[in-house]
This record gives sequence, C-alpha cells and structure tokens, in this order.
Amino acid sequence: MGSQRRRARARETALGLSLGSPLLLVILALVFLPLILGLRLSTQAYSYGIPGGFIGLHNYASVLSDPDTLTAAVHTGGYVLVAIAIELVLGLSFALALNRPFRGRGLVMAALVLPWALPSVVSALLWLRIFNPDNGLLNVLLLRVHVLSQPKVWFASRGWAIVFIAIVHAWGVVPLVTLILLAGLQGIPDEIYAAASVDGATGWQQFRMLTMPLLRPALAVALTTGTILAIAIFDEIYMLTGYQLNTFSLMMQAYQITFTRLEFGKGAAFAYLVTLVTGVLALGYIRSLRRAEQ
Amino acid sequence: MRGSIARVVTAVAALALVAAACSSGGSDPVGSAIASGPSPSIAGQTIVVLLPPWANVPKDILQTFTDQTGVKVDLQVTGWDAIRNKIAITGAANTPLADVTEFDWSWTGQFGRAGWYLPLQGKLDPAMISGLQNNGAFTIGSNQYAVCYSNDFRISAYNKKMFADAGISQPPATLDELTVDLQLIKDKGIAANPLAIPLSATEGTSTAWYLLTLAYGGQLFDPNLQPAFTSPDSGGYKALQFMVDAVNKGFVTPGAVSLTDTQSDNRFTSGSAAVTIVGGPDEMVTANDPSQSKIAGDGSFLLVPGVSGPGATFGLPEGLGIMSTSTHQAAALAFLKWWEQPATVLALQKSIGLLPCSTSAVQSLVSSGKLVGGDTINQELQHVAPLFPQGAPPWYGDFSTKAGSIINAVARGDLSVQEGVNQIAAAATQLQSGA
Repeated sequence: MGSQRRRARARETALGLSLGSPLLLVILALVFLPLILGLRLSTQAYSYGIPGGFIGLHNYASVLSDPDTLTAAVHTGGYVLVAIAIELVLGLSFALALNRPFRGRGLVMAALVLPWALPSVVSALLWLRIFNPDNGLLNVLLLRVHVLSQPKVWFASRGWAIVFIAIVHAWGVVPLVTLILLAGLQGIPDEIYAAASVDGATGWQQFRMLTMPLLRPALAVALTTGTILAIAIFDEIYMLTGYQLNTFSLMMQAYQITFTRLEFGKGAAFAYLVTLVTGVLALGYIRSLRRAEQ
Repeated sequence: MRGSIARVVTAVAALALVAAACSSGGSDPVGSAIASGPSPSIAGQTIVVLLPPWANVPKDILQTFTDQTGVKVDLQVTGWDAIRNKIAITGAANTPLADVTEFDWSWTGQFGRAGWYLPLQGKLDPAMISGLQNNGAFTIGSNQYAVCYSNDFRISAYNKKMFADAGISQPPATLDELTVDLQLIKDKGIAANPLAIPLSATEGTSTAWYLLTLAYGGQLFDPNLQPAFTSPDSGGYKALQFMVDAVNKGFVTPGAVSLTDTQSDNRFTSGSAAVTIVGGPDEMVTANDPSQSKIAGDGSFLLVPGVSGPGATFGLPEGLGIMSTSTHQAAALAFLKWWEQPATVLALQKSIGLLPCSTSAVQSLVSSGKLVGGDTINQELQHVAPLFPQGAPPWYGDFSTKAGSIINAVARGDLSVQEGVNQIAAAATQLQSGA
C-alpha cells in the first residue's frame, strides 16, 4: 500500500516536473541567465564600448560616488512621493466609487482603463500639448480666465517640473491601482458591513475600522507596484524634458551611462543598485503587510 | 636534362606568379562588379543596410545597385538613436547587426576606437575620397571608418517678407546687425519673438551653441582638447551670452527652453519667427513648400552671421560604414562605391533631398539650378569646417548631452553665463579623464 502511494507520488512529481520544466527553462533563460550575465558585466571595465577586464566592485563604488547619482536619486524620490500620493488617493476614490453598482459602470470602467492602455510615450506626447509653454492648453485656459498674465514655462523650475512629470506618470498608473484596490474591496464580505451597521457604526467608522484594515493586502500590492513603476520612470521625462539637469531620474542616468557613454559595466552596476533599492522597498512593504496581518 | 627541368620549373613558377597576380587583380569583386556588371563572387549575396528615415533609399534606385552587382539589399530603416543603440549593443557583444550602417560624424571617436567598423583606407578609390567634402570627420589617424553620404552642415535662414515689412533691405551679415534687425522686427510688432533657437536640454541646443561659438570666431577646444570657451572674450562665452540675451530681450519665446531643434524650426516655418540660426541645407525645401509651411515663397537662406562678416559654420556629415562583423564585406564595399557614383548621388538628391558630399556633384546641382538656394549653399560651404579637426573624441556624445543640459539651465536662469561655461568645461575635463 505504501509503495503504491510512493509510486503514485513519484508519477505525480514526474508529471509536474515535465509540465513545469518548459516554463522553468524559459524563466531560467530569460530571467536568471541575463541577471547572472548582468552581474558579471557589472564587475567588468568598459570605456566607451571597449571591454577592459574584471575590476571587482569598482563600478559600484564609482556609481555611488558620482554626484549625478545622488541628484538622480533625489529627483526619483520626488517622483515616487508625488506619484504614489496621487495614485493612492485617486485610485482609492475611484475604487470606492466603482465598488457600488450604478448605471454606466461598465462604460466608466472602460474609460478609466484607457490611460493605462496608452503607451507612456503617447500619453506623454498628449500631455506635452497641454504643458506647451507657447500654445499649450493649460496656458491658454489660465490666460483666458486671467489666472496668468503671461505664458508660463511649466518645466522651468525643478520642483514644479517634478510635480508635473509625476502627474503625467500617475495618470497612466491610477487605473491599475484602481483595479487592484477594487479587487480588494470586492473581496471584503458584505456581512461584515451589515454586522457593523447593526452595531451602529457610521459610514466613516466602517471605512476607517473595516475597509482600510481589510484592504491592506491590496494596498500593499498597489503601493509596491506603484513604487516600482515610479522608480523606473523614464519615458515621460524623456518625452517632456529630455535629459534636463533638474529632472533626470535614476533610469535616465542608467541610460546615459550605458548608451551615451557606452560604459556597459558601470551601467549594469547602476541598474543592479536600482534593483536593490526597489527590492528592499518591496520587501519592506511585504513585511509591514505581514506584521499588520499578524 | 637537369637544365630543362629547371627551366620548366621556372616557367611554371613564373606562370603561377602571373596567374596569382592576375587573379588577385581580377578577383577584386567590387571593382569588377561596379565596372562591368554583376560579379560572380558577390552576385546572389544579400546585404543588410541599416539607415535612418532621411536616407530611406527608394526601391527603384536600390534596384540599380542589384542590376550592377547582382547583390540584393535588405534595407532596414529605423530612428537615428535606435541605430546608435543597436550598434553599441551588438558591437559590444561582437554579434552581427548589419553589413552597412549609418555612421554619424560624432560616432567616429567611440565606434572607430572600439573596432566595430572596418577601416576603409586602401579599399576605395583615393580620387573619389578626395572629392568628398567633410569626409575627414570619419577619420582618426590613418584610419577611415566611413564614406560621407549626406553633406549636412549648419546654415541660417530668414523670412524675406518680415524683413521687408520692417524696412530692412539687406539680410544681416554680422551678429551685431542681426541683433539690431531682430529688435526692429520686434519693435514694429511684426513678430513678438523674432528669433528661433532651441534652448531645451537637447542635442539641438548644444549644436546652436557650437555654431554661435564658431560664428564668434572661437573654437570649442584647443588642439590638446582643452576647453577654450571659459574666458569672457572667447567665442563660446560670447555665444552663450548671445543666447541668454536673446531670452532676456524677448527675441526668443519664453517657451524656447522646452523646444527641440525641430520644434524651434516650426516657429520659423509657421511664420512666428523671422530668423532661424541653426538650420540645415534642406531648410528651404520645407520652408517654401506650401503643404508644410505658412511662409512658402518668403524663406531664404542666410549665411551664418559672424563678427565682421559671414561667420564660420561646421559640418554634421553622415557616412556609411561597414561593420567588422559583416560577413559580406566585399558586397558591402560595392554598395559604398555604388552610392558614391555621380548618377546615384544625383538620383538620391532628386528623390529624397540628400545633399551629396561630392564637391563636383554639388557644383553640378548648383550650376544646373536644381538645388534650392544653391548659390547661398555654395557660398556657405566655403565657411564649413569640422567641429573637431582631429576627429570627434569618444566622449563627444556625453559632452554634447551635458552641454545641452547646462545651456538649458543657463537659459532658464538657474546658472549665470560664467557658471555655465565653467560647468561645461568641468564636464569636458571630467569626461576626458574618464576616457
């Protein structure tokens, strides 16, 4: 009986392995192999495309001591903070609104998904028409209602440039956050709200004491996704301002090192450091989520 | 007997030598292919050619190459930036990308030094090479990495009607005259911001500064590649001051700090600006085409203004190079030779507007009146000099990006002119030490 069970388990294992191995091979070839090759590249010297051999952690030290890295990190931190704030506030508001059935809900959902479906380059081009200092929609409107007396160059100052670029980025990510939070909201049983109502809880109390705690897993997923996407911001900056001193981000700096200077080793080291930061942040979110669940 | 054997051996050896000599001469598949029709050794091959959109050779013109050589061309057209990235990635990985590719003048230091391109000296007719203008931009030391196919250079342009409306009868020859004319056009309300010049953090802005630096009689670097633009009496300093003055005096729109070169040019063709400083030799094709321009018939080339007369300008030639990884190098070489034939360059100028690098072809176009603004172009060509007489250094791309960003910061008022030139010089020094 025992040996029969062992044989059945072995057959099951063999079947599982045979079914899963193609996928495993694809993941190994397309994810792990490039990661390993990238790690090796990050320890090699490259000067304007010419390889120069193994140099240990020199590329990492060089990247970390470059003042442009700190500037790029500060700019990226700004993008993350502004984008996440917009995404969570708007995403949660839209998710709460869409969680109740109403006429035309499907249409609203479709319209909401549209910015997410647009390639980021296309949406940045659309926003460029809005922010154009000469004849952009924003300047035209504000001049017409006399809020401005002369056209404003929206990307001239560092602070405002970061805020506006973060808005453009968040515009594309809000639908994703909304869908994640909506899925979380729909997973909360109605009975809990019914019981809270019977106990006399107000709408605000229900939101604060029930919805928010039960939505934490979805919020953590939304926060992690939003942060990773904001750290990787590139297209929007490239299209709206180019490699401008007051707006360049970590990924733009990685592009600059890799493709303009052709310092592939340093570029790989830079990319690994960004990945490390992203990984640490994601782990932090997950750990805080686990603590909350416990 | 021994003597006759020796004579036979000698005769055979001599015949072998003659045969070898004949075969080495006769086996030049490129020369024979171009001279007398398809060559058996390269006929039937297909070469991959990677070019930017402005060099999208029409199929009927490509067919003439196939007819001459028997070589088919797989023409891939993609963006200039994308081509650069593809070359860098495949070059570093030593994997094949294409047989022939675009080779911009600014890539010479990086790509030539990396060994990604086949040196062409000795493989092409020296007479043909010497007849090409700007071809030195593709050379480092004795190595030539490309042949020029697009004779791009910077030239200014102005709106004749706007100048006439302002009562100006002569186009400006100097930068001082230009300043006076722009003020007049502005004061008379003909154009609120009469000058089109890009000031965004892009390559186009760096190009404008380089041009004005030369126009002020300066150079970017000395022969040892040390920055030559930090002193207030240097051309580079004056050029940056000119750009800042243009912002402060309202000659350029406040939005110029967000405008790329193309967007800035659109201000000229839309009739918003009376002068564009940094244009190309194809500028008038667009400006005087009613389907693309609101100033059709009013646009005219303007020799880049200088200090006491027309100033210096520089070439931005584009070439064709053969990648070291090419497996059809003979066919690729035939393609380069075919491209530089007079019939091909004239056909390409007619169909896609590429200004030939061949001096004789340009003269032929000017004298036959087939080149829009040909006389001014011909005059401006006399003032064209390479930006880097010693060949573009490997750090040029990064330098240009940083210079564009810093000029943008100066135009936005974040940095003074002196701080700007100092930062550009520091960037150049840092990049050189890294190279």
